[in-house]
Amino acid sequence: MDNRSRTAEQLVIEKHTERLRRGFHLWPGLKQGRPPALGDYRWTADLILSTWLQAETGMPPTNGLEHRVGNSGGGFDRLDFKFFPQDRWLPDTVTIDLSIPLNRRPYDRRIEIPVPFYGAGMSFGSISEPVMRARAQAAQVWKTFTCTGEGGYPESLLAYKDHVITQIATGMFGVREETIQYAPIVEFKYAQGAKPGLGGHLLGDKVTATVATMRESLPWVSLFSPFPFHSVYSVEDHKKHVDWVKTINPEALVSVKVSTPTDIDMVAVGSYYDGAHIVHIDGSYGGTGAAPEIAKKTIAMPIEFALPKVHRCLLQEGIRGEVVLMASGGIRTADDIAKAIALGADGAVLGTTELVALGCTRCGNCERGRGCPFGLCTTDPELSQLVETDWAAERLGKLYQSFQLQLSDILRRLGLSSIRDLVGRTDLLLYRSQEETR
Amino acid sequence: MPPPAYFLSGHAINPPVLKSRPAHHWDDYMYQRYHVETSPALEIAPFPNRTRVKVKKHGLATHLLKELIRYRGNREVALSRPCVYGVFSGPVGGFAPRNYCCVGCLRCTIEYPEMVQVYPEPEHRLLGDSYFTPEQVDTICYEARTGRIPVKGAGYRGPFGGEGWDGMWTDMSEIVRPTRDGIHGREFISTAVDIGQKPPFLSFNEQGAATGESARTFSIPIPVLFDVPPASVVSRKFLQIVAAAAQVAETFAVLPLGALNRFALQGRQIIPLVSREDADALTELRFTPLMIELDGWNEALFREIRRRFAESTICLRHDLGSSKELLKHYHSGIRVFHLVANYHGLGPDGRFVLDLIREAHGAFVEAGRRDEVTLLGSGGIIAAEHVPKAIICGLDAIALDTPLLAALQARFLGECLDRQGSRFRLPRRLTVNWGVQRVENLLASWRDQLLEVLGAAGLRDVRRFRGEIGRAMFQKDLEREAFSGIEGYGQ
Ligand code: SF4
Ligand code: SF4
Repeated sequence: MDNRSRTAEQLVIEKHTERLRRGFHLWPGLKQGRPPALGDYRWTADLILSTWLQAETGMPPTNGLEHRVGNSGGGFDRLDFKFFPQDRWLPDTVTIDLSIPLNRRPYDRRIEIPVPFYGAGMSFGSISEPVMRARAQAAQVWKTFTCTGEGGYPESLLAYKDHVITQIATGMFGVREETIQYAPIVEFKYAQGAKPGLGGHLLGDKVTATVATMRESLPWVSLFSPFPFHSVYSVEDHKKHVDWVKTINPEALVSVKVSTPTDIDMVAVGSYYDGAHIVHIDGSYGGTGAAPEIAKKTIAMPIEFALPKVHRCLLQEGIRGEVVLMASGGIRTADDIAKAIALGADGAVLGTTELVALGCTRCGNCERGRGCPFGLCTTDPELSQLVETDWAAERLGKLYQSFQLQLSDILRRLGLSSIRDLVGRTDLLLYRSQEETR
Repeated sequence: MPPPAYFLSGHAINPPVLKSRPAHHWDDYMYQRYHVETSPALEIAPFPNRTRVKVKKHGLATHLLKELIRYRGNREVALSRPCVYGVFSGPVGGFAPRNYCCVGCLRCTIEYPEMVQVYPEPEHRLLGDSYFTPEQVDTICYEARTGRIPVKGAGYRGPFGGEGWDGMWTDMSEIVRPTRDGIHGREFISTAVDIGQKPPFLSFNEQGAATGESARTFSIPIPVLFDVPPASVVSRKFLQIVAAAAQVAETFAVLPLGALNRFALQGRQIIPLVSREDADALTELRFTPLMIELDGWNEALFREIRRRFAESTICLRHDLGSSKELLKHYHSGIRVFHLVANYHGLGPDGRFVLDLIREAHGAFVEAGRRDEVTLLGSGGIIAAEHVPKAIICGLDAIALDTPLLAALQARFLGECLDRQGSRFRLPRRLTVNWGVQRVENLLASWRDQLLEVLGAAGLRDVRRFRGEIGRAMFQKDLEREAFSGIEGYGQ
């Protein structure tokens, strides 16, 4: 098709899509240096650029971009691995197993994913449908999962339903019998790390007619997900939730997503005894489409502190072997995934990282006006077109590939052949001084 | 609509209208939700944007020409801009970018790396000082402008933790809420606190009537007062703003006695600050304050104030640091303490306000006297998150200092450490109306943020947060628990 047969709108979209992709390709090459205003303490310019590069090449950068740690001065950014001397590394001939089970109980359905991560819940409404589809497509290719978030289940996801986790959150938006029946895993979102204890808020501007239909609400009216579940007054009440899901879909595994209060260890134990297969802990530095800044910074603890606490408590209770512990909330890189596992997780759940791979600059404007100017966290019909499903799915796949390579490399250097052997191995970690990490 | 009472009454500050209703009015039996009225109050002095956009003009001209050729004169496509926030939508587009619209998304520079660059604005880096960072000034200005809670997309962007307040997190509950009513259950969370003296226990006679010492307290609906301003900004206008804002918000402002007399200010919401030097000026005071603040301990002055203003509560302004001295003053009869660190949150011995508050609170707890006294605090409390944190550490309420100045767009001239030595410059176009609204907006935003923190913790009363260290998490403790045993930790 030449320029004359397309509408002006199509041409405008094409023009900017092309320019953006060119930019995502050029900047990580560092020919222009680093964009001076890009990055923050957690996601430095180098981390953002290296994620763009990995999403293009499927490989970690080799041009000097720091792709392992950020500049936050604590947590994952102070931890490192105690690698063996080279002569003790596992040879390339040894196959490294990165798979993890998502059910460690002796009963119920067995599900295993070949990489120790899956996609976090991001709702339709907070992200665009093409982005949602791309995440599902990548999950299908990589035989892992993505999650609906609390915004309903767009029909276009049905083709990928074996790789889509249905989330049930406090607003119950888009939760229907059939969306629970589609799901191999059902996730109850009790709380979200970035806004622990606060529920959710989708601004009216983002509630388009399609979003409203999906959420069974009215267009252009703000939607609140209350906090907490109005049907849950105690940890025992959670059991009712599990029973309800099991009645509708007896095959489904159950995941419980919680934030990180002081008693997170007890919450995890309670969740296990109430039937959860997966306990998903979302640390306070996780992503969000919109949250009060005070909540992101001040309420609940970072994931790095919660993981060892929960892991040890589950061990002491003698139930660690039956719980799948997934970590999210501030996991940015392959190194972060491995560190989270060494601190006690079985695997990680990725959210912001996937958006960065698709071009997110972490500017924080997701909730402003028409939404994300890069077409990621938006329902604006024009902006959403900046992200094409196939392009995005391929980038996510490439990012996964790079993470797979790096995780295998980390294990090799630690003399481990399976990611499962890394769980809780804090003895393989080093704590770097502030000076060393600068 | 007539202007609010505080402008009509000249220098006098009228009591809030609500309080003057007859006791039997039906409204008095209804639940009254505390509410601070917000209204947009835009900046009156230039305020630097976070970013500056630079476009290569020659490159842009060439680019536009090429685009017009490529798209065969289709101006809609050729001239379509990368910025969706209107930075390039002025009369001459990218040739004169409208910096003030820029939200730093970087789409322009991603699309046109050779032509557009977005830089952190150097002017912006000059806001505040080494403790009150430009980002914090930005946040305060947003709060004072809009009255809203700052809400943003994406996750937290700052350092992992750090010294002082940054190394402290508050707790949340997965399932406990103060109430299940309302969208967030916030409507019924109380932020009211009591100031004054309370007896350790109540005594009753045989008829069941209370005997002995009774509580002498007054309540404020929000645990925030206003502290005495630094000398460099004391003017009639400034004091009017602070006093009127205190009146509207139903809280209190500590103001210097000398200036009160000089500007003939009076009102229920004013707490005169009296020092040894201006003790004589007490005779000129035109009203009986609910509370008088003593600027440092002076026994003679204390007795004099007690004699002259028997109805007033006396508060002692005291450096944060020596708990022993605080207990000594308790035994001398002081029940309300205003504990002060410098503007950077440091006590005289260089320790940070967080530890000092915990120590002071702990000293009274240990002595079994904590419930008899009120602890107010100032210094280094410069963000909404610091209020719940300071209360958890042991304060009953805080008295705002430098955030008031930032809300009023005062420029910090150099490092601003204390009331005497610091220099601030207020905007020339400052008016009382604007100033009051900015302070009201700030308070509304901070109160809403306090409600968020209380709600997340499952508490329905801020008084229950006081000294609740168990509902806080400290980086040092969490790190020790999580990382001890990891090589290199603690070395
Ligand atoms: S608006 Fe900014 S932070 Fe949000 S997704 Fe888009 S690029 Fe990322
Ligand atoms: S950074 Fe974003 S907001 Fe600023 S000029 Fe560029 S496109 Fe516009």
